[in-house]
Amino acid sequence: MTELHPSTPTAPSRRTTLRAAAGGTLLLGLGLTGCRSAVAEAEAPATGAAGPKRGGTLTVAVNTDFTPALLFAQSGQSLQHRLIYNTLTRYDDRLEPRPELATSWEYAPDGRALTLKLRTGVVFHDGRPFTADDVVFAVKNLQNPVRAAQLRSTAAAVTGFEKRGDHELTLRLAHPVNNLFDLFEFMIITDRNSVEDAVAGKRLNGTGPFRLASWRPGTGLSLTRNEKYWQPDRPHLDGVELRVIPQADALVSSLRTGQSQLSYAVPGRNLSTVTAVPELSVTQYDTGGGASYLGVNTSVDPLGDKTVRQALAWAVDRERVLSQVLGGYGLASATPWPKSSPAFTEAGRTHYRHDPGKARELLRSAGHTRLDLPLLHVNLPGETALAEAVQYDLKQIGVHVTLEPTDAATAQKRLISQTMPALWAMGHSFSQVQPSTLAVSAYPFNAAKNTSRFRSETYSRTVREAWTSRATGAEANALRQRVTDTLLDEAFIIDLVIRGSVQVASKKLHGATLNKFSYLNLDDAYLAA
Amino acid sequence: MTSTLPAPAATGEKAARRPRHPYLTALATARGRTGLALVGLVVLAGLLAPLLAGHPPTDQSGLTLAPVGTPGHPLGTDDLGRDLLSRLLYGIRADLGIIAAAVPLGAALGCLLALAAAAHPAADTAVQRLFDLILAFPGLILALAVTAALGPGRLPVVLVIALAEIPVFGRLLRTGILAQRGREYVTAARVGGSSGRRILTRHVLPNAADPLVVQIAVSLTVAVFLEGAMSFLGVGVRPPEPTLGAVLSQSMPHLAQAPHFAAGPLVTVTALVLGLSLVAEALNREIRR
Repeated sequence: MTELHPSTPTAPSRRTTLRAAAGGTLLLGLGLTGCRSAVAEAEAPATGAAGPKRGGTLTVAVNTDFTPALLFAQSGQSLQHRLIYNTLTRYDDRLEPRPELATSWEYAPDGRALTLKLRTGVVFHDGRPFTADDVVFAVKNLQNPVRAAQLRSTAAAVTGFEKRGDHELTLRLAHPVNNLFDLFEFMIITDRNSVEDAVAGKRLNGTGPFRLASWRPGTGLSLTRNEKYWQPDRPHLDGVELRVIPQADALVSSLRTGQSQLSYAVPGRNLSTVTAVPELSVTQYDTGGGASYLGVNTSVDPLGDKTVRQALAWAVDRERVLSQVLGGYGLASATPWPKSSPAFTEAGRTHYRHDPGKARELLRSAGHTRLDLPLLHVNLPGETALAEAVQYDLKQIGVHVTLEPTDAATAQKRLISQTMPALWAMGHSFSQVQPSTLAVSAYPFNAAKNTSRFRSETYSRTVREAWTSRATGAEANALRQRVTDTLLDEAFIIDLVIRGSVQVASKKLHGATLNKFSYLNLDDAYLAA
Repeated sequence: MTSTLPAPAATGEKAARRPRHPYLTALATARGRTGLALVGLVVLAGLLAPLLAGHPPTDQSGLTLAPVGTPGHPLGTDDLGRDLLSRLLYGIRADLGIIAAAVPLGAALGCLLALAAAAHPAADTAVQRLFDLILAFPGLILALAVTAALGPGRLPVVLVIALAEIPVFGRLLRTGILAQRGREYVTAARVGGSSGRRILTRHVLPNAADPLVVQIAVSLTVAVFLEGAMSFLGVGVRPPEPTLGAVLSQSMPHLAQAPHFAAGPLVTVTALVLGLSLVAEALNREIRR
């Protein structure tokens, strides 16, 4: 399943060789678990005889269009973010930050300030130089409730800015937080003078490797190479086309026929079709894809009783969901954490197994033998299959579910506005970065205000401790474990399967990677002859 | 005295000379018989679904995409391990239920509006504009709009099909009424003192109804397509209840490795549509003779 793609053009330096060796070791380890890393792929040494080729236009097939109004939130489609913009840092596979527009950083001893040194010689697409003021604006922009950024709580922890020249900035924090680099991975640096044009989709001015040529709603984005990009001799590609193909079968056909060369939107059920195509490679990452879950509205009787919620958690056959609904691409898990997360434990993953007998017993102990509940799901084929599988499993314990197929936009709106019915089946993200980010940012898990309307002093306190602690090692693990234990015990979000990102690409394409928030990085990508 | 008894042959001759109803004549043709056989086969399969299906149509199992001929699953299973024969038979049942309710409803409403239009010029203008309004929305756009307002389920599908059929039947009957109204027998009835309503319902309507019978067969065909398209797009009957369109939609990701998944609903829809089309064509030919 794992394949190496050549990506580095020059003869390997000592540092590159060391990185390659480290990357190779990591790949070996991940390969054993059936997964691989996007960053490792980017840093794998070039093994092709020809090396990178300059030129060509890459067509990326996406299933949803760019939504400019959600530029600073977490939309369903964020591939273009790192193509047009840059972030301050990017994570490697061990969640260690690497330089992007910030070249170095240093925490104050008390953890209440962080000093960033910024890259010089970076200009926006319109030629204006990038300075510390742009970082100040980017943080304040995410603090603005209008932007609906899910990492707003982390941005709001930044309460002061101290500039030293144009390329050094100290961020003052209201309290220590351990997910500041999640914010830097998430936060795109936009031109402060044209941000309103950006959220209207009229003008996207960033420092990224590609400039926006045109956006045709419903059709896609056209991007051309930024000749003033700060990385020398990058990007290799002349341009990128993001083509919207909502129908999964049509999207697969576009890949098979070579009309598009890259996609991260092929559903697991369709992957068996592309694995047989010799011109395409399928690569699974264990991060970035989010997780499928069953949400429970605790304000609907009798779901306020955690015994009933736990009964639901025991009733679902996660392994069957994984194999039948997701084509085997993913990891059946009762917790939200992928294997790469520091919060992942095997005990947590298998905490709830498929045990209808135990589920029925719990339901009876809560005083119920039959329940009739509605379940909302998005009316796409994969989401419908997931809902049908859950419906059948719940029926076996006496919970009769009526499915409510809903369009994706309405489902998202109801998720944010906390107006979900008793049950819903959807996907969540944010578990692939620092564990605290999930509990302070993601709509389903947010301790302050979540879709399940679950309120608990214990959960809020546990989350806050995990978020603000600067502890490392065993102490940090203990804090994360407390969050996991609370999530498992309260079962207001019942995780089913961790979905990795699955990349389907032409074998001619090399060097494409994703960051932790599924921003596509094509700095080093090229199309071989 | 000898009496002459009528020869038995003479009675038979008289019976043979009795004019046969043109619809029966149409259905007795090879085209009509083939059409009836195909439709009858599908209808029978739907009606006997509880007897023929070995499993409930929504029961899942771990047997994913089992091939044709698997013991206990003659047509195999779908991606969630459900018996495909059972889903096909119950899908036919669901489809037939929907089109049997929707097409007559659309036809009745369309005919009522056409009769109202024939009664008064002002009503005629109003009805014509109403038909224009409905026709302005293509079937699937209408389906999406109705489903957005009412949510998924059987009722929205029935409503969409009925709405789509109203102007078809309405315009057809209106044209027939306009053609018949100029005939001598209508003038004779008017001279004879019949009221306008009586002339319309007792004289004009029976003579303008022939094309409607053909249209019903054609509309049933369209209804099969419309229901299938709505279920295929995920705005039809609420899952997990099977319909032919829904089963076909579910089969799409698996066409490469399990083509049998799509074969059942495809063959059934083809047989149903072909059968109805043949019946419509046979009726049309006989009526036009």
